[in-house]
Amino acid sequence: MTGEPDGTGDEAEPDRIGAIDWETVDADDGGVPRRPAAVLAAVLGIAAAVGYEAFRSGGGPTVAWPVAYRVTPLDGLFVATLVVGVAYGAYPLYANPRLARRYWARFREHRVAVWSLWVLAGVCAVGVLGPLVVAKPTVEVAVGYQPPAFWSVPSAVPGSCVGPVVDGACRGTWQYPLGTTGDGRGILASVVYGTRVSLQVGLITATIVVLVGTTVGTVAAAAGGRVDEALMRYVDVQMTFPAFFLYLFVLYLFGGSLVLLILVFGFTSWGGTARLVRSETLQRREEGYVRAARAAGASTGWLLRRHLVPNVSGTVITNATLLVPGLILLEASFAFLGLGDPGVTSWGEVIAAGRGDLATAWWISTIPGVALFATVLALNFVGDALRDALDPRVASGARGRAGDRGSSDTAERADGSETR
Amino acid sequence: MKRYVLARLAWTLVATWLVLTLTFGLLVAAPDPGASAYVAGQVQEGADYEEARESYERARGRDAPVLERYRNYLVGVATLDWGWSESRSQPVIEAIATAWPYSVMYAAPALLVSTVLGVAIGLYSATHRNSVEDYAASSLAFFGASIPDFWFAIVLLLVFGVSLDWIPLYFRTDVSWVSWTNVRQLAAPTLVVALSATAGEVRYARAAALEYVNAEFIKAAKAKGVPPGRRMVRHVLRPALVPLSTILIADLLGVVLVSSYLVEVVFGIPGLGLLSYRAIVQGDVPLVLATVLLPTFVALLGNLLQDVAYAALDPRIDYGGREGR
Repeated sequence: MTGEPDGTGDEAEPDRIGAIDWETVDADDGGVPRRPAAVLAAVLGIAAAVGYEAFRSGGGPTVAWPVAYRVTPLDGLFVATLVVGVAYGAYPLYANPRLARRYWARFREHRVAVWSLWVLAGVCAVGVLGPLVVAKPTVEVAVGYQPPAFWSVPSAVPGSCVGPVVDGACRGTWQYPLGTTGDGRGILASVVYGTRVSLQVGLITATIVVLVGTTVGTVAAAAGGRVDEALMRYVDVQMTFPAFFLYLFVLYLFGGSLVLLILVFGFTSWGGTARLVRSETLQRREEGYVRAARAAGASTGWLLRRHLVPNVSGTVITNATLLVPGLILLEASFAFLGLGDPGVTSWGEVIAAGRGDLATAWWISTIPGVALFATVLALNFVGDALRDALDPRVASGARGRAGDRGSSDTAERADGSETR
Repeated sequence: MKRYVLARLAWTLVATWLVLTLTFGLLVAAPDPGASAYVAGQVQEGADYEEARESYERARGRDAPVLERYRNYLVGVATLDWGWSESRSQPVIEAIATAWPYSVMYAAPALLVSTVLGVAIGLYSATHRNSVEDYAASSLAFFGASIPDFWFAIVLLLVFGVSLDWIPLYFRTDVSWVSWTNVRQLAAPTLVVALSATAGEVRYARAAALEYVNAEFIKAAKAKGVPPGRRMVRHVLRPALVPLSTILIADLLGVVLVSSYLVEVVFGIPGLGLLSYRAIVQGDVPLVLATVLLPTFVALLGNLLQDVAYAALDPRIDYGGREGR
């Protein structure tokens, strides 16, 4: 949050401004657009593979090495989410380095956010690759309450000390680098598998929210009239309910399953995104380039695809980034309350497991708690920096400084209240 | 204005009805979590499976036609006949009556503290932009928004309860409400709830105040020689209070409701959150339903108050033409 927004990035390659990007024009001309087709093909392929895995005869693991592992439908959903993220998040930046450089220059002004990005890269690496290397935590009551490596506790604390006992103190070993829970699950393995659960909940849910929210928002803005009114009234209803308590009730009645949790969160928390997309689309629709395109004979579908959706995507991405930490916290809260999926290891569940042993075994609750806190904090920092980097109004100098971003919050809120 | 308030009131009633219908639909669609436990118990005692099921459904009124149950449900909720709590052997409404003072005992001070502190910090940080204090306030807001309430509560217990022995580890209900022991055991939960509420409040207050900090009328006031303190209170805070007051009611309420649920579970405070949690653990459906509906009603009411406050406070908004809902 330091420094002024620099306008130098814009003048980096002055010769390109105004030049026609013939490649894009040509690519868009012929028949089926390439990127959506590729994404669709990939998603269908994943669905087919996962479907085959789910109904395959025999219960053998999909991969036997380095750890035996069987692919679940949730993994398929997760991979599909990653594909969509790469196709619509990372690839455009790669394909358009000038834009990427400009965003990066603005993003880099937030030093904390850059560090946070590294933290998140680590979290993603652990969540995606970790389960391939680390074996799933298993309950082994005999090795409960082992202290982390380089730490020692009175030897009365663990049932039986795996490491050496020195002067009546049990020392941690490298077999369990971060210690174990009361029922002998390794904290390291639990945190690794919990990372994946948090990533799945955060990313898949956010993808659903973005897809549904953007669709509803643009349809409402484009259609107007009764459709708009009906959709927005529905959003009002959805947003009035305190979601936490409805989720609580649903999870209580139907049992905690990670897929159910993701679907319920995803299909009930897109209200804010839809509102945001609608109001942005309505604003953009009156701008010169859209009017020019319409005058040139562009259809509504073309306008939406080529001009409106791409131009509100910055807002949507920022909104989604700021949604993810909330979703991760929500999942952790439900897991903490014992309403999570009993079949998966979640950070919240491990924190709950160590709650009664604070005095003797601090590491059980503390280590996953730190992981949760760090991830959520990093996501909040990155989301905040993205808001500044992607907000085109900041670039045009209409806003004095990056720090003023909060005003769009109140503007949006006021707008939301007024539509009621 | 009167018309708007009436329309808004009608809307709240519709929303309440929608919530009730939705929860009823969920209840009908879901397998009753209490049923399997009861049936399993009966079968173990030698009863017939089918008979046990039927007797359970009869006792619960689940054998009646859906429409009749739906009517009974709505009438029951409206007449405060919220059913019988199996796990506590008392009417649900009585269980709630004993629990709510414990929730209010720390949530009300937390709400008060976070409102005053949040607005003050946000205002200061907006008028002293880019100062050290501004960055400190931002850090506080990020910290408060990111730290998981339940984990923060655990850490507080670990540090101040286990290590320093400043606060008791277990909540005691046998002490007088106005006593030093009670204050000591409520300090940590109040802090946790206040922190998460303050974090949101600081962000909103700063953003709301920023809209006015560079406004022309502030410059005019400055040129006229109005002292900074007066400028801050009379010229920035007053207009900023309009959007803020709306946030204060509904959003803060939402934060506090969720946060208090988790905090009560960690600290063992026998308020509404713990009541609900225990009901979930023990499969006490009527009590779960009541403790889920209650905060939902509170939130709906908060939303109503928010919109009415907004309409009443902001003279620029004319709701005359919007009787459409």
